[in-house]
Amino acid sequence: MKILINGRAVTAFKGETVLTAARRAGVEIPTLCHHEAVEDSGACRMCMVEIREAGWDEDRTKLVTACLFPVEEGLSVQTDSPEVRRTRKEILELLLARSPEAEAVRVLAAKYGVESSPYPDREDAELPNCILCGICTRVCQALVTGAITMSERGPNKIVGPPFGEAADACIGCMACASSCPTNAIPVEDTGTTRTIWGRTFDLVPCAICGAPTGTREQIDWLAKKTGRAAADFEICVACKTKATGEVWHRISW
Amino acid sequence: MTCAFSHPVEGQPGTSRIRIASDPQGRPGFSKMTICLQCEDAGCVAACPANALWRDPATGAIYHKTDRCIGCQSCVLACPFGNMHWEEATNHPVKCDLCGGDPKCAKFCPSGALVFK
Repeated sequence: MKILINGRAVTAFKGETVLTAARRAGVEIPTLCHHEAVEDSGACRMCMVEIREAGWDEDRTKLVTACLFPVEEGLSVQTDSPEVRRTRKEILELLLARSPEAEAVRVLAAKYGVESSPYPDREDAELPNCILCGICTRVCQALVTGAITMSERGPNKIVGPPFGEAADACIGCMACASSCPTNAIPVEDTGTTRTIWGRTFDLVPCAICGAPTGTREQIDWLAKKTGRAAADFEICVACKTKATGEVWHRISW
Repeated sequence: MTCAFSHPVEGQPGTSRIRIASDPQGRPGFSKMTICLQCEDAGCVAACPANALWRDPATGAIYHKTDRCIGCQSCVLACPFGNMHWEEATNHPVKCDLCGGDPKCAKFCPSGALVFK
């Protein structure tokens, strides 16, 4: 089907969202909570766009999140109208009050001309850069072990393991920290241990040189997932590279 | 070096996907290069929980889709040949992408030891 994005006819497929269709067409829509590996949740509100459905009056429009709104025949989308820009500015003021130091928020705020927030800063925040976008919880839940979750409501809402206690289900893979758009999740790596979400994991030493590889829990999880022996994962990259060189040496002429 | 310069991160040379394995015992003529073998039964693909590693059916090469990557390093742990490298600057693994079909390492190799065909 065809939909109109900023007046331009763009190809869209049934079942996909406005965001997917727009990005494929090269139209920029800012996002913070969108991650290709997991379902969208419309948490950050940055992707708000103005739409008009087929058959609506000329002056009737509606603001929706592009990441959740499905395309439909005759849909018209404005991604950068005055109303959209005003809304995004408002959202950025709220995000800036919540996480003034978060780089991803600051970059977007600067782009939309938001220099400061009229709202009071958050005080004594446990994770000051966390904007509650939920990429970490969705990634962990859908793809790893579901060790972290959102809890509480409203201004008290937080991300973390259940009841704030070190989670048994966590395997210390750092997928949450790596995929966080604002680098909000602290990880402490000492070379022999890794601490995340209040739990300290031992890093399995490389069977050849002793350099750290992954956590025992992640290696066991991988062994189970792939059906390979845990020992396969307990050699560091440098030693594996050397072993590969050794094989090349043996078979070369 | 060509590889690192061909895959820059914020204007700086990135992480090289091709490595030279030197001999721990110092045997002459040992140094061998290692690079992604685009395995048929690939450990990295099997380990990735996010389907961020995929094989292009047209070329058979395995590509890493950064947008889908969750940065868990499973592929780095899983690659049996040490050809999956972690890039701190981007929080993502890197692997040989064959420079999209025109590998720069082969192009710039002065002795013609690296050939792409």
